[in-house]
Amino acid sequence: MLKLTNLGKVYEGKVAYRALTDINLEIDKGEFVAIMGPSGSGKTTLLNIISTNDSPTTGNLEIEGKNPHRLKKNALAKFRRNELGFIFQDFNLLHTLTVEENIVLPLTLDGASVNEMKEKAGKMAESLGITPIMNKRTYEISGGQAQRVAIARAMIHQPKLLLADEPTGNLDSKAAKDVMNMLGNINKKEETSLLMVTHDPQAASYSDRVIFIRDGKLHSEIHRGESRQAFFQKIIDMLSLMGGNDHDFSSVRI
Amino acid sequence: MTFRQFAFNNVLRNKRLYIAYFLSSMFTVMVFFTFAIFAFHPAFSGGDINRNIIFGMAVAGGIIYVFSFFFVLYSMSSFLQSRKKEFGLLIMMGASDRQIRLMVFLENILIGFCATVGGILGGLIFAKFILLIAENVLIIEESLHFYFPAMAIAVTFGSFLVLFFLISIFVSFILRTNKLTDLIKGDKKSKGEPKASVFLSIIAAILLIAGYVTAVLVKGIFVVYAMIPVILVVVIGTYLLFTQLSVFIIRLLKKNKSIFWKKTNMLLFSDLSFRMKDNARTFFLVAIISTVAFSAIGSLYGFQSILTKDVKNSTLYDVTYSPWGDDTKEVIQQDIQKINAILEEDNIEAVSETMDEEIFNISEQISSVQIVKASDYNRFAALTGKEELHPAEMEAIVVGQSEAILTEDTKVDEMMMQEEIQIRDGREIIPSSIIQSAVLDIYNPYYVVNDSIYGQLGEPVRSDVSAVWAAKDAQEEQIIEVGRKLNEQLEHKAYSIDYSIYEINKTFGPILFIGLFIGIVFFVSAGSFLYFRLFTDLDEEKRKFKAIAKIGLTQKELKKVVNRQVALLFFSPIVVALVHGAVALTALSHLFNYNLTTESALVLGSFTVIQVIYFLIVRFIYVRQVRRTIL
Repeated sequence: MLKLTNLGKVYEGKVAYRALTDINLEIDKGEFVAIMGPSGSGKTTLLNIISTNDSPTTGNLEIEGKNPHRLKKNALAKFRRNELGFIFQDFNLLHTLTVEENIVLPLTLDGASVNEMKEKAGKMAESLGITPIMNKRTYEISGGQAQRVAIARAMIHQPKLLLADEPTGNLDSKAAKDVMNMLGNINKKEETSLLMVTHDPQAASYSDRVIFIRDGKLHSEIHRGESRQAFFQKIIDMLSLMGGNDHDFSSVRI
Repeated sequence: MTFRQFAFNNVLRNKRLYIAYFLSSMFTVMVFFTFAIFAFHPAFSGGDINRNIIFGMAVAGGIIYVFSFFFVLYSMSSFLQSRKKEFGLLIMMGASDRQIRLMVFLENILIGFCATVGGILGGLIFAKFILLIAENVLIIEESLHFYFPAMAIAVTFGSFLVLFFLISIFVSFILRTNKLTDLIKGDKKSKGEPKASVFLSIIAAILLIAGYVTAVLVKGIFVVYAMIPVILVVVIGTYLLFTQLSVFIIRLLKKNKSIFWKKTNMLLFSDLSFRMKDNARTFFLVAIISTVAFSAIGSLYGFQSILTKDVKNSTLYDVTYSPWGDDTKEVIQQDIQKINAILEEDNIEAVSETMDEEIFNISEQISSVQIVKASDYNRFAALTGKEELHPAEMEAIVVGQSEAILTEDTKVDEMMMQEEIQIRDGREIIPSSIIQSAVLDIYNPYYVVNDSIYGQLGEPVRSDVSAVWAAKDAQEEQIIEVGRKLNEQLEHKAYSIDYSIYEINKTFGPILFIGLFIGIVFFVSAGSFLYFRLFTDLDEEKRKFKAIAKIGLTQKELKKVVNRQVALLFFSPIVVALVHGAVALTALSHLFNYNLTTESALVLGSFTVIQVIYFLIVRFIYVRQVRRTIL
């Protein structure tokens, strides 16, 4: 589904800075992958390249066998709109629109019919439990609700790949748990591939596989076994092993 | 870092934020200064310029100054609006109200000082250009040479330092420190969608329609009585149009999902409804200001054309001569020779025709009417290349000159058609047709008859002589020069049409110029209001488009949204102003019973063109700004 080969990124400037070196990574259809690593390790750069917001300096990126970086600007915008879904740390909802309008926005831009949009938005809202707030404005809802709206928006056009940048970063632990549960469910039900960058081991433990990067290189990866509990413990251990700064990890243990 | 340093660095290191405010202040200073350069020109103070004109200029200067005050105040307050968050942060860090006021005060003094200096320097650069324009529009004998405008600099500098000082004090006092949370949330807080009342929306429509209908329907002197109430009604109607009716319409559109949820419409309408509260005020201001500009320039231009058209159409010839009734043949001969001499003196080759004008009394209604021999008429016609007339023996042709006549309801020529002209042997000449022509220099309608019958007409009541000269490829200036001499030597007997127009323009020029100047100032500042409105929201717009671009927005879609947004902002108030202006000018033309369609179309059309150009420029800058943040 997603294939990175020898991907590298160098930021030009007065002092050139190598953010990513030779990243090789493959994600299967329907797989849920989390990327972890200390601050400045290149997680967000990697996600930006995959999400086509940034271009790689070297190497190749393929989504379903196509390299989106080769697309022209407008085709790229359409590609993003149709094939990718995004979830951001700060939600990125438009506050001039209501919750429902925010959710249907990608379909609206694509010129879908009103009935289809209504129906899809209704279904989405129901599965995410946000039906009661559909007519509210974005400043009237809580962070957890806002992130669920963002998930609904990201999923409404059934993208092949869902990209999440610190989706729980702005949420309390209860809301974070809810959001992660929902992402997990969507991943299972819709068979959407999911790539998530996170600092939060709790959130990462919902994934099938966690990839650790450090100093722009792949460090290691661990797979989830049967129990999420055990997986969480393994993630914590790996983070301790990798070192980095203490405050990067949550000290909470379950 | 002292507090003063902080305030100064805040401005100097944050240029982009302050530039719009600075530029509009500078622009205001520049406008005032160029006007001052002009008003204090030595050619005016010493020369033979009318006292009234000097008074008019003083008044115009005052208007520009007062307007500048409000304009700078408006710019300032919209500028402060966009900085709420910054003030919130400062307060949170422990800045006192006094310090914030002091900061705003210092900033203003700094910006005001720079704007004044910059405006004067900018004005100096444009001074020669402005003086050249003024020279041509004003028709001043001595040319307006460039001079070092010490007086203008002093006056501008003084008055604007006072203005900025007053505004600084004013602003720092009205700067209410709202609740801290409101300030911090500053740009994020939502003012909510404005509500529209159906009742007021209907009232808006009724007021506007009533105002328009009254303005268009009233005729003649009633226009003056209707003016004030109509203006009031239309102003209130316009306010309600923008604050209520427009919100109401947008809400209706938003309710209709198949329109609202169609592609980029959603982004456009949600934004519009959200901003309508702020926009409505700007729109109202811009619409009214532009209407004032359109109407002022339109009416002045209309007046001028009413005045000159009357003169221009009265004759086809460069010089016309008609002696006093009691002038003897010798005097007439001398006069004609004098005119020929003057023409020769100025190297103008002219062809001339002379004709005896005989006035007859035909009936009670038509007591004194001129009857012209066809051959006389044709001689004159040959001079100007017009069509000849050949009436049959017992036929008369009525020749009118309706173009020169202001009032359209004169029916003298039609009355003349009803008459029959009796000749000596009792037969009657019957008028056959009416034509319009300015071949003869006769203001009232007259008959043209066949030469053979002319001798059989009765005794004329009186008889005059008229002579005309048509110059062969002479320059306009030469003719004006001749006209001046004729005016000196043969006052009220000989005229040069170009000289008359020149005289009218000369008296009317300054008024037109001042009107034009003020009109343009108003119009340009209306544009600045719009520019401000647009760029106050720029940062928020960028954030919004950034968010959408991440989801995927093509260049074309982005352009489409921005294009419509800016176009709506730029054209909705202007369209309203154009309609207002057109109605006002129609009322004006009814007042004078004179058709002003061409003049109105010209004035309104050129303003539309300017606005379109302005729109294209602003859109280009805006799209570039937005696109840059996305990529």
